[in-house]
Amino acid sequence: MKTQLAQVPKQVSRILGLFTILMFTAILSNPVVAQNQTQVQEQTIKGVISDDSGPLEGASIVLKGTQTGVVTDSKGAFTFPKPLKVGDVLLVSYLGYKTVKVKIKTDTTALKITLAEDLVEFIGEVNTNTPYKSKRTKKNN
Amino acid sequence: MRLILFIYATLFVSQIYAQKSDFKHLDFKKADSIALAYKDASLHNLSRLSYQLTSDLNTDAEKFRAIYKWVCTNIANDYSQYSKNKRKRYKLKDDSLELNGWNTSFRKIAFRKLVKDHKATCTGYAYLVKELSKYAKLECEMVNGYAKTGNTNIEKMVAPNHSWNAIKLKGKWYLCDPTWASGIQDPETLQFVFKYNDGFFLTQPKLFAVNHHPEDSKWLLFDQHQPTYQDFIDAPILYGEAYNMLSNHDLPNQMHQDVLKHETITFKYKLQHVIDTKKVHFLIDNGHKLMKATPKQINLKHKQLTLEHSFSSTGFYDLHVFVGDDIISTYTFKVTRLSKAKP
Repeated sequence: MKTQLAQVPKQVSRILGLFTILMFTAILSNPVVAQNQTQVQEQTIKGVISDDSGPLEGASIVLKGTQTGVVTDSKGAFTFPKPLKVGDVLLVSYLGYKTVKVKIKTDTTALKITLAEDLVEFIGEVNTNTPYKSKRTKKNN
Repeated sequence: MRLILFIYATLFVSQIYAQKSDFKHLDFKKADSIALAYKDASLHNLSRLSYQLTSDLNTDAEKFRAIYKWVCTNIANDYSQYSKNKRKRYKLKDDSLELNGWNTSFRKIAFRKLVKDHKATCTGYAYLVKELSKYAKLECEMVNGYAKTGNTNIEKMVAPNHSWNAIKLKGKWYLCDPTWASGIQDPETLQFVFKYNDGFFLTQPKLFAVNHHPEDSKWLLFDQHQPTYQDFIDAPILYGEAYNMLSNHDLPNQMHQDVLKHETITFKYKLQHVIDTKKVHFLIDNGHKLMKATPKQINLKHKQLTLEHSFSSTGFYDLHVFVGDDIISTYTFKVTRLSKAKP
């Protein structure tokens, strides 16, 4: 009996001790965990792509170094199919426009990007098998 | 010193002959079948298309081939756009502000049509080849310049009228023309017909220069004896099939010659492969009628083809060289009598 009684406070103090350690670790580790969470947190990115005259349908948004991507709808809008991390780079492109690189930051959620045109001058000559025909004048005939 | 000279000479020669035969060991079959497998793929995601076309190929030459072949076999020539643009550009040639405005609005329409309908004019082809190459990390440039066909009105050629590509493979630049390789305009229906012509892929620069003249002469890829713009204007007309058959066009080096009656005219070509000389003939137009004629002499030795002809009456002639049904080249001749030649 004596021994049992003596053991009670021992157990209480052991539990208390464990509890204190747990509390301490919890308090100490909590901010660390919180910090880590913001760093690895993955965000869903949405956005609108346009040019100087309005939304661009069919612009492509690709995660750099991968084949993961999406194409904008008729309103120029997109939702990237995969959550993205801070530091990921998106390549926004459309034929005839200069490609834009966007780096995902902690506060990136909605992107608004205006693409600038690649200033190409359109020319063209068609190939043909139609034989050449001299223009006949009195002089050369 | 001798070694240095040798190396110099080798570099020189290899530079001049930057052509498809440098890649004889590659048959491009795999590249071509990949291009075919992605027929009608969307142009919305260029990076994906470029990856699909090139990721299974090992060499840059094959990667470029797959991209080039895809563009040539999937993009149609847009004649209505082409003629509209040509007319407008000619009309506005002296009004740079208006021309600029036209270019801006045309560019937008042109790119949209390329993405949506897979239709383009030359710049669209060359631009697409360049962009797809960029995604595959290939060094490819778009070259603007002058080009002429049997239909080109040289007097109206006031500014560059054509675009093509230069591609760097194994440290050397090569030329190709995706627009002209894709097909031709049917002479009867005037509609575009897909007809891939391999002759415009990594073409020998000297042959390419007969009917292509870049704005920036470095894209001639000549080290010496660079042709001038005037040389290009004066050059004979070569047709698509010439690029499949010839590796060089030597004589006559000008489109037009003044000759005397019965004077012997020599035609000289270097062939890519041996042909049946019986198929070689001329079609001669004197302004009133077309006449078929056989060359006076036909000589084929070591892929060097020499033809001879002379006119038996005075006049002005368009002379077309044919091999079978394929038109190769055109020249014009003014034939005079000896006494009249020196009045």
